[in-house]
Amino acid sequence: MTTAVPPPSRTEILSLFRSLLRSARQFPDYNIREYTKRRTIDSFRDNKILSDPASIAAAFSEGKSQLEVAKRQAVVYSLYAPKIRSIMDIKQ
Amino acid sequence: MASKIISATIRRSLSPRTLPHIRPLSTAAAVTAAAEPYDETAGISMKGVKISGRPLYLDMQATSPVDPRVLDAMLPYFVSRYGNPHSRTHLYGWESDEAVEAARAQVANLINASPKEIVFTSGATECNNISVKGVMHFYKEKKKHVITTQTEHKCVLDSCRHLQQEGFDVTYLPVKSDGLIDLNELRSSIRTNTGLVSVMAVNNEIGVIQPMEEIGQICKEFNIPFHTDAAQALGKIPIDVNKWNVSLMSLSGHKVYGPKGVGALYMRRRPRIRVEPQMNGGGQERGIRSGTVPTPLVVGMGAACELAMKEMEYDEKRVTELKDRLLNGIRAKLDGVVVNGSTESRYAGNLNLSFAYVEGESLLMGLKEVAVSSGSACTSASLEPSYVLRALGVDEDMAHTSIRFGIGRFTTEEEIDKAVELTVNQVEKLREMSPLYEMVKEGIDIKSIQWSQH
Repeated sequence: MTTAVPPPSRTEILSLFRSLLRSARQFPDYNIREYTKRRTIDSFRDNKILSDPASIAAAFSEGKSQLEVAKRQAVVYSLYAPKIRSIMDIKQ
Repeated sequence: MASKIISATIRRSLSPRTLPHIRPLSTAAAVTAAAEPYDETAGISMKGVKISGRPLYLDMQATSPVDPRVLDAMLPYFVSRYGNPHSRTHLYGWESDEAVEAARAQVANLINASPKEIVFTSGATECNNISVKGVMHFYKEKKKHVITTQTEHKCVLDSCRHLQQEGFDVTYLPVKSDGLIDLNELRSSIRTNTGLVSVMAVNNEIGVIQPMEEIGQICKEFNIPFHTDAAQALGKIPIDVNKWNVSLMSLSGHKVYGPKGVGALYMRRRPRIRVEPQMNGGGQERGIRSGTVPTPLVVGMGAACELAMKEMEYDEKRVTELKDRLLNGIRAKLDGVVVNGSTESRYAGNLNLSFAYVEGESLLMGLKEVAVSSGSACTSASLEPSYVLRALGVDEDMAHTSIRFGIGRFTTEEEIDKAVELTVNQVEKLREMSPLYEMVKEGIDIKSIQWSQH
């Protein structure tokens, strides 16, 4: 622990939020896609009340690593997507 | 396009009247006619059933999908870090061993144990075998008696039957009609030569949570090892091996959104519980379970346990809301719906319902767009009703119509609404055709009817 990481700005946080939602859309699996969207929205909403800069920075870096995971897994899931989609994706 | 939808709707409304037998294809066929703009053959046809897409998954007690974050943790160990964790001489072995030990700590954290008390196995069935048979064989000079319940998982019951053939005594405790055991009966069945008490924490079929702390207290009082099968409980309810006073706990990877083929056995060190190993070999896992530890699977289980710890509160709140939505949705449209098992001491994600005056097989056959189970996956292959429901004292006809809805982390509100709609439609359709239901509606008591013999 040497220098403290500066807390992220509002634009950075919003950009992370949008990137996570964008990566959620890449999942071909209905359940994973919905879960990623929902969990992102709920986590950002729950973390809105954080005031201490250290915890905000920690939550932000956690969010960034989750974004990396989501990007990688969206590729993997797309490579192995089943030809027939879930019924929830087909019915209107 | 509009005329297609109109014709499909007309076909759908006409079909139950034109064809007297059940047509489970009618809704799916109507949908594919309306929704597919392309001409490719939509849908899957397997075992004579045709559905337009993959069913929505509501069978979380059978297995759970692997969480993408767990898969992300596992993939490097399939792709590049493929070493054997027991190789001591090179980097591949060292990094693999490091990953296994990190996973061990992750699993131990979830149950408030020390990493030295975790042994990795191939699943909860193997853990149950090691616990039941291993403990009794080790202490066979002095201890000849095992206490378990009638609603345990098949692997525990089968191990106990094996022990009975070897000459041990086994007491199968009955359960009350809500699925919980009677603590006084447990206390009175303890003998001086009792070697093990085995009670599962959360039942896989009905989802009831046994009074673990109280059972732990009784076992501590009489100084008897307490084993629990916590495969369904891990990551869903808070587990503390010290509060529960368990000596052995079976954990399963694929019930906590981890990979299949891995499990962990918790073995208490203070006071130390000894078991006779069921797998002999090179002495891996402290001699309890020989064999190469499967690094990717173990890493997956560790990641799944760490995730479960972070997400337990969020998941539990959500699953309870979804369960209420499902149950209220079904109860709003149907009567004669019974929840099997206690409603208070229950894990919300397991909803086992019985529908009166409906035949179970035909109900399941009509619910092909929802992946649900009747009874547990182990027993649904045979036609007899589940032994767990029989132990609860449920009537044969109600036991046959039981459906188990499993709600999990990835279930959505739309899926629940769709499941409600499909279930209600199917049950109404079957009840409309049922002469028994007609008689009940007229006020005749079914149990008082004298059926004539031919």
